Amino acid sequence: MAARTPSQTVGPFFHEALRWRDGGQVSFAESGTRVRLSGRVTDGAGEPVGDAMIETWQLSPEGTPPRGNPGDTKPHGFGRVETAKDGTFTIETLLPGGDAPHLDVAIFARGLLKALRTRVYLAGDDAARRDPALAALARSPRVRTLIATATKPGEYRWDVRLQGEGETVFFAL
Amino acid sequence: MNDMTRPDIDPPYLHPEYRSTRLRSPKEPLLELPPGTLDVPGAYVPRGFARNGENDLTIHGQSLPIGERMVVSGRLVDESGRPIRDSLVEIWQANAAGRYDHPGDRHDAPLDPNFHGLGRTFTDAEGRYRFMTIKPGSYTWQNHPFAWRPQHIHFSLLGNAPIQRLITQMYFPGDPLLDIDPIYNSIPDAAARPRLVAQLALETGVEGVALGYRFDIVLAGAQATPLGI
Repeated sequence: MAARTPSQTVGPFFHEALRWRDGGQVSFAESGTRVRLSGRVTDGAGEPVGDAMIETWQLSPEGTPPRGNPGDTKPHGFGRVETAKDGTFTIETLLPGGDAPHLDVAIFARGLLKALRTRVYLAGDDAARRDPALAALARSPRVRTLIATATKPGEYRWDVRLQGEGETVFFAL
Repeated sequence: MNDMTRPDIDPPYLHPEYRSTRLRSPKEPLLELPPGTLDVPGAYVPRGFARNGENDLTIHGQSLPIGERMVVSGRLVDESGRPIRDSLVEIWQANAAGRYDHPGDRHDAPLDPNFHGLGRTFTDAEGRYRFMTIKPGSYTWQNHPFAWRPQHIHFSLLGNAPIQRLITQMYFPGDPLLDIDPIYNSIPDAAARPRLVAQLALETGVEGVALGYRFDIVLAGAQATPLGI
């Protein structure tokens, strides 16, 4: 076994290097239901985290892993955005397929020595609680931190609290 | 379950000596996912995503950037030693004076109009990558009095599965600042830290032009195979 390379923080100066054109508009080979996910990242003092990068990965609208082709101009199913100074971000994508539609999320920032990994469900509370991945949380109120709120048709709100009251559930990895 | 006898490879979220971790590290226990949850095929990034020349950071000005020209190259493999092919590698770094070409960098050191410090490439069929650049300078930061970061290049590796996603930093051999850098020393296992230090490898450079450094990267083992073609 080769020994894994340790993680280090992304630091504060990644923006120009990691910014992708239209990174917040997730594309697919398939068509589907457009959704817009907005939120805000805050720290243990409730202050906005204005220098984070958020990546998302999800199934296609048909519920299969997104496929790509060499002729594509960008990856399918993958989103990458940076938070604004006020900690806010927006991802425009298509509703993922599956019984409990969700996006896998990785958060990078100064002060994060390794990425935080979590998930956001664009599904009802019951569907999320039935997801085997969340079995350990099925009866915990904390599962709510992984469920986006539908604010109007096609629009969802999901805030991320890195630390403190209402702290988002993050995954061990 | 993790093997409790193996020291953690990655730093903890809370490492108080690195001040910014104090309010950004989760305090609640982390949720263990069923094994394999993130060991699934990841994003396929089309080759055209990195353009010709993006693996040479020294050719984007009117003339050469100031600094010691160097080649950094290596292999991207998984824990079983298998090459991670056709995978996106993104790097960024300070210029030779220790200044990032970034609006947020207020360090009192000059910008170099011939150096922006951004690079992208893909690994080849053997997992190899290669960049031409200049050696970055050290710079001071606000973490504690007289704090200076060791010279480093930031690396972002997409891998071929979500579990492989890694952002890290490459350091240079013999840098006296390594011993006192809270970010480098956040890695709990002292024996794992030197894996982030490149090795001088003269023959991987360009004779008469650029010094060669070798930096191999090992991502988490993945059963997944890349999608796409």
